[in-house]
Amino acid sequence: MKNTIKVERAKKNWTQADLAKHIGVSRQGLNSIETGKFIPSTLLALRMAKVFDTTVEVLFQLDDTEA
Amino acid sequence: MEKSKKTVTLQSVIFALIYGATYLPAVWLLKHHVFAQPVSIIIAIVPVITFSIFIFKYIKAIAVMDEVKQRIQFEAVVIGFSLTAMLMMVLFLLSLCGISSPGWFGYSYLLCYCWLFYFIGWLISIRKYGL
Repeated sequence: MKNTIKVERAKKNWTQADLAKHIGVSRQGLNSIETGKFIPSTLLALRMAKVFDTTVEVLFQLDDTEA
Repeated sequence: MEKSKKTVTLQSVIFALIYGATYLPAVWLLKHHVFAQPVSIIIAIVPVITFSIFIFKYIKAIAVMDEVKQRIQFEAVVIGFSLTAMLMMVLFLLSLCGISSPGWFGYSYLLCYCWLFYFIGWLISIRKYGL
């Protein structure tokens, strides 16, 4: 699964720590999500979409092999 | 909120240490001294009580962790439990074959292996999720 968290974060000029604080996870946890090592729950994905004022589909996309 | 999460996690670590601090002296006392049976039982129960409190605090700590840390703990416990169960099965089967070594695989050693397997699982999991 791909994600655009880093891009959305850069748009807001937020560090990982800033975003982690907004969505209620640890910075290391967020790093794990951003690098694609951990797939977040629907709740966390929705929270992330809300703070970026976007949709989950924009933040997370299936890989070609997963589709 | 973040502070209370840290407090709960710290409490579980403190109670793990308290458990260790009661278990080791209890084992030492029971191994090296002869007490009346009621006294022995009281000494044996103390680490059981501290372990129970530790488990309660550990479960509370897991409940307030973020989902990445919860997954890491979950996988560590699953790996630790699976390896311990496998070791016990192997030891049981070997004992049926007449091969056993209580010197290395007695009850007290099994407890150490259980903790060792948990930490192996924890290391595997934190590497997997890049923490």
